Amino acid sequence: MREYFRYFKWLYIILAAVALLAAVLHIGHWGLAKTLNYQRTNTECLTDERVFDGAGVLSDKEEEKLRRLIAKREKQTGCDIVLVTLNESLKEYARAIEPGVISEEYVRVYAEQSWENMGFGYDRPDGDGVMLVDNWSREDDGSIHTWMCTTGRARDAYYVEDIDHLLDNVYRYVEKNPYRAYKTYVNDFYHDMMGWKVSHLSVPGFVPWLIGIIAAVIFAAVNWRSKEGKKTTTATTYVAGREPVFRASQDRFIRKTVTQRKIQTSSGGHGGGGGSHGGGGGHHGGGGHSR
Amino acid sequence: MLFKCKNCGGNTVYSPEKKKMYCPHCESTDSEEKLADSSLVQCVNCGAPLQLTEFTSACKCEHCGTYLIFNERVENAFEPQLILPFCIGKDLAAAAMDHEFSRRLFAPSDFLSAKSLEKMEGIYVPFWLYDYGAFYDFAGEGTRVRTWRSGDTEYTETSYFEIIRQMDVDFDRIPVDASIAMDDRVMDLMEPYDYKALADFEPQYMSGFFGEVYNQEAEQLDTRAQAKARQASEELLQGSLMGYTTVRPYRKNLNLHREGFCYALMPVWQYVYRYKDQSYLYHVNGQTAKVIGVTPVSRGKVLAYSASVFAAVTALCYMAVHVLEIL
Repeated sequence: MREYFRYFKWLYIILAAVALLAAVLHIGHWGLAKTLNYQRTNTECLTDERVFDGAGVLSDKEEEKLRRLIAKREKQTGCDIVLVTLNESLKEYARAIEPGVISEEYVRVYAEQSWENMGFGYDRPDGDGVMLVDNWSREDDGSIHTWMCTTGRARDAYYVEDIDHLLDNVYRYVEKNPYRAYKTYVNDFYHDMMGWKVSHLSVPGFVPWLIGIIAAVIFAAVNWRSKEGKKTTTATTYVAGREPVFRASQDRFIRKTVTQRKIQTSSGGHGGGGGSHGGGGGHHGGGGHSR
Repeated sequence: MLFKCKNCGGNTVYSPEKKKMYCPHCESTDSEEKLADSSLVQCVNCGAPLQLTEFTSACKCEHCGTYLIFNERVENAFEPQLILPFCIGKDLAAAAMDHEFSRRLFAPSDFLSAKSLEKMEGIYVPFWLYDYGAFYDFAGEGTRVRTWRSGDTEYTETSYFEIIRQMDVDFDRIPVDASIAMDDRVMDLMEPYDYKALADFEPQYMSGFFGEVYNQEAEQLDTRAQAKARQASEELLQGSLMGYTTVRPYRKNLNLHREGFCYALMPVWQYVYRYKDQSYLYHVNGQTAKVIGVTPVSRGKVLAYSASVFAAVTALCYMAVHVLEIL
C-alpha cells in the first residue's frame, strides 16, 4: 500500500487541488446565486403559470418540480422563463398570421404571439424573458420543431451559437426524458444569463469516461512494456566521433506556392436564427431546432 | 588451465571489485600460479568427469568447485583479441536486479522477498565486433509548409527545396553475439558496453567465470551487424532532414563496406530465480549493471493501478469541465 500511495502521490495531490478549486468555485457560485433576488415588476401579465404541457409529456409531479425550479431561476435571472409543449400542427395558425412562413418557423410565430398575448416579461409586458416551444406534432415536412424565443435582456445575452448549444443540450434528452430536457433548458438559461455559458461546454457525458479508459490503457501498456528492459543504444552509439561526416549537405530553395481558402464562419448576431421579428411593439430574438 | 594460489594452493579467481586475481581461501591477491594442464574430459584438479558443450571455454567443476579454462578453446584460432573484464561482482549484480525489480510497477509486491535463487553464473559471452565504413548518398525534394490567417482567408505557403546529403559514417565495433545459447534480442538489449575498458585477452580474467568460444563465424553474423549499421545510418540521415514537412527521395544509396572485425568476450551475469513454481531468467550487463529480463506480473496490481488512473483521470476531467463551466 505504501508503494501505491508513493507512486500516486502527485496524482492525488493534483486531484485534491482541482477538487478544492471546484469546491471553492462552486461555493462562490452558490453564494452569488443566493444573493440574487430580482423583483418582478410586470403587473400586466395575464398568468402566473410558466409550464404549459399541452403535449402531456410531463407528469404532474414533474410539472410541479419545473414550476419550482423556474420560480427560483426567475428570481436569480430577472427573466420570465416559460415552457410550452404542444402536440398539434401549427400550420394554419402560423400562416394566418404570417402567410409566407416556412414550416420550421411555425413554432416561432406561435412563441412570439403567445409571449405578446400573455404579456410575459419580468420587468414589463414583452420585457425580459425566454420561452421554449416544443411542438411534438410532426408538420408536413415530417419534422418536429422547437423554438426558443428571447426578449429584452435575454435577447441581448444570446447569440445564435448560444441558442444552438442550449437546444442541442435539450435535444440530447428530450426523446427519452422530456423532464430532464426541459430542466436542462431552465438551468442552462440560468447559467448563460449568469455569464457562465455552460451550453458552450457541452461535453458529451461519455467523454471523461473515454479519456479515463484511454489513459488507463496507455498507462497499463507503457508499464507492461517496460517489464523486460529498454533499448539504450542510439544511432550514434557506435559511430566514431559520435557523429557522421557530411561531404555535402545542401538545402537549395527551388520554388514557393501559396494557396488560399475562405474560412466558413457562422454569422453571430443578436436574435439570429431567423428569429428576429417585430410585431405589436415587441422585438424577439431566438432560434430553432428540428428533429 | 587453472589458476592456483601460491600461498595456499586454492583456486584463485578474478575479482571484479578488486580488479585483480584473488584467492577466496586465504584472501591473498595476485598470488596466482597458472597450471597449464587442460582436458575437455575431466577436471585437471580432481579428475572428475566434465559435462561440456561443444562451445564451453571455461566452467566450474561440479565436483571440486574449481574454475577451469580450456586451452584448446582460448588459444590459436579461438583466442579472443579483446576481453571486457567483469566490472561488477555477483552482489552488485543482485543489488542492480533488486533495484530494477522495485521499479517495475506491475511486479508482485512480494517478488523481491519471496524469490529464491536457482542459478547464478558469470559468463563471458563471445561477440564479434565489426567495423564498417558507410557512405550514404541521398538526393530528394523536401517541403516546408506554413499556414496563417488574414481576415476570413487562410493562406498555405509551401516552399520546395532540393536536398542533397552525402554522409560518411564510421562505425566502430558494432557488437553481435556469437552464442547460440544466448537470445539475440536479450544480447542486443544488453548493449551498450563501454569499450574503453576493453583489454587484451588474458586467460586470468576468465578464472571464476563461465565462458564460451564463438559458436558462429564472423561471416555468418555479418548480416546482423550490417542490419544494425544500416538502421543507424538511416536514423542519422533522417535526423539531418528534420524541419521538413515532407521529403520525397530521388536517389538513395547506402554503401556499406566492412573494414574489419575482431573477436571479443563480454561479461554477462545470468541469474535464474524461482518464484511461485516458475523460473525467471535474468541477464545483467557485467560492466554497466543493466538488467534485462521479464518479471512476473501481478494482475491485482495491474487492475488496481489502472483502475486508479482511470478513476483519477475521469474525475479530473469531470472537475475540469465543471471548473471551466463555472469560470
